[in-house]
Amino acid sequence: MNCLDFGPLGFGVGLRRPHYAPILDAHPTMDWFEVISENFMVEGGRPLQILEDVRAHYPIVMHGVSLSIGSSDPLNRTYLDALRCAARRFKPAWVSDHLCWTGVNGRNLHDLLPLPYTEETVRHVANRIRQIQEILERTILIENVSSYMAFRSSRLEEWEFLTAVAEEADCAILLDINNVFVNAFNHRFDALRYIDAIPADRVVQLHLAGHSDHGSYLLDTHDHPIRPEVWALYEHAVRRFGRVSTLIEWDDNIPEFEVLAAAAEEARRRCDFALASERVHKAG
Amino acid sequence: MNLRELQNLVYRSITDPDGTKERVGEERGLAPGVLVALIHGDERLSAFERVNIYADAYFYRLLECLGEDFPTTLAVLGEDNFAALVRGYLLEYRPTEPSIVYAGLYLADFLNRHPFSERWPFVAELARLERAVLDVFHAADAPALRVEALRAIPSGEWPAVKLRAHPAVEIVHGEWRITDLLDAVEHGREWTDPEHREASVLVWRQNALVHYRSLEPVERDALVLVSKGASLAAVCEAVAAGAQETNHVGLIGHLLARWLADGIIMPSDATLATSVRDGFPSTGT
Repeated sequence: MNCLDFGPLGFGVGLRRPHYAPILDAHPTMDWFEVISENFMVEGGRPLQILEDVRAHYPIVMHGVSLSIGSSDPLNRTYLDALRCAARRFKPAWVSDHLCWTGVNGRNLHDLLPLPYTEETVRHVANRIRQIQEILERTILIENVSSYMAFRSSRLEEWEFLTAVAEEADCAILLDINNVFVNAFNHRFDALRYIDAIPADRVVQLHLAGHSDHGSYLLDTHDHPIRPEVWALYEHAVRRFGRVSTLIEWDDNIPEFEVLAAAAEEARRRCDFALASERVHKAG
Repeated sequence: MNLRELQNLVYRSITDPDGTKERVGEERGLAPGVLVALIHGDERLSAFERVNIYADAYFYRLLECLGEDFPTTLAVLGEDNFAALVRGYLLEYRPTEPSIVYAGLYLADFLNRHPFSERWPFVAELARLERAVLDVFHAADAPALRVEALRAIPSGEWPAVKLRAHPAVEIVHGEWRITDLLDAVEHGREWTDPEHREASVLVWRQNALVHYRSLEPVERDALVLVSKGASLAAVCEAVAAGAQETNHVGLIGHLLARWLADGIIMPSDATLATSVRDGFPSTGT
């Protein structure tokens, strides 16, 4: 994997239906958009027209939820061919999906389930990613998922598992800062330790999002503003990884587009500040 | 336990209504407490509670999706009944496709056999119509036949012109007049049970928007012919045979003008298709 293949895009937001009209009407300032791949892997109609228009004015990346990289089912070749076709048509800067499984026996849970963190699973998943990259004719990004259960059979820490998969598959990493924070609470580990363990040269994109607090666990709902603790973790990540393409995710109770745009600008400001303070720290 | 066995067990625990109960493990011939043995729990959340987070997410995510795909069915049944319907539906028709758009593909079939159809005998047809709206929304793009292209053909050759339906067109046949109900709920008006009378509804997409309207028998029969690929002559004969009025030519002209304006027919003939591409811009949808 050559990280130079992934030029920094800046600070973007997810493309969501409530914002189609303001984006298409005014083409507001935004560095880039992330789209959910499956929403545009359709035969025709308005979604494709919308994405054509957005792509004509902005860089995009395609972020999928159904690759099911970690499933014990065979790879879904029909899905992969459709994804490749969509990528050829819309020319995203990159394609990403999640380090998880979404179903088994041909059935789909439409959720992102965690895997047991073992060497055997590393080999299984890395082998599949290599095949996927060959089919899609590109290096993909894999994202760490939020999780509410952990398997007793795991022998690696989550960050060790993510690193091992990325290195064995020679793929890139989409590091979701909110998911690191959520999982650190749900599974009782140090989020900073997680960030510090991820190989910096493989991190191509960061996600930022809100979550909901249920007392005994945090739920990755993408329906709240980004919490101060997650912003702090993001600044730590920036000091480690540099000016990495950053995306604001907001998928439910979606506010006006201006709110997301403001969050993207907040990320830019915090990134600038974190890097400036890091330079001062190193100079001192 | 290998990865496949683990994933099968987790899948079953999430989707079975009693999945997180120990009984599921016992039914599979596994030792009691199988989930506890597989999944970490602590004083905050037990293994069962952790799996239940996924079980709740599975059901409520699909309930929300199906509610968005079938808003009028939801309005007719009410929230509690719709939730019960979806719970039963998901046990019989577990999602298989990567896209959640297909999760409700068989809801109308399920409703046909469901006790709710005794209280609301029209509800299966309603769900079928709502599904057609969704399918048409995502149907393939294609250039529709335009009036200019037809006029470019010598009139003597018109009878042989072969037509077919645009891919973003569906005709839904049924026993109930559903469209008024659909329209009322869509626009927030009070609705009443539909009339029990044979009905066909045309659903089509134009300029990225989905439309629907009731079809009278003459137009319905003509469009069914078009959907199978028919010549204009055959379509005219069908209209003439079915029309009660004597001005068949006027009726055929009116229907053809409406189909062209709505963009629901395409040329089936390669020559005509070429003239459409070369000489005249397509409407596209």
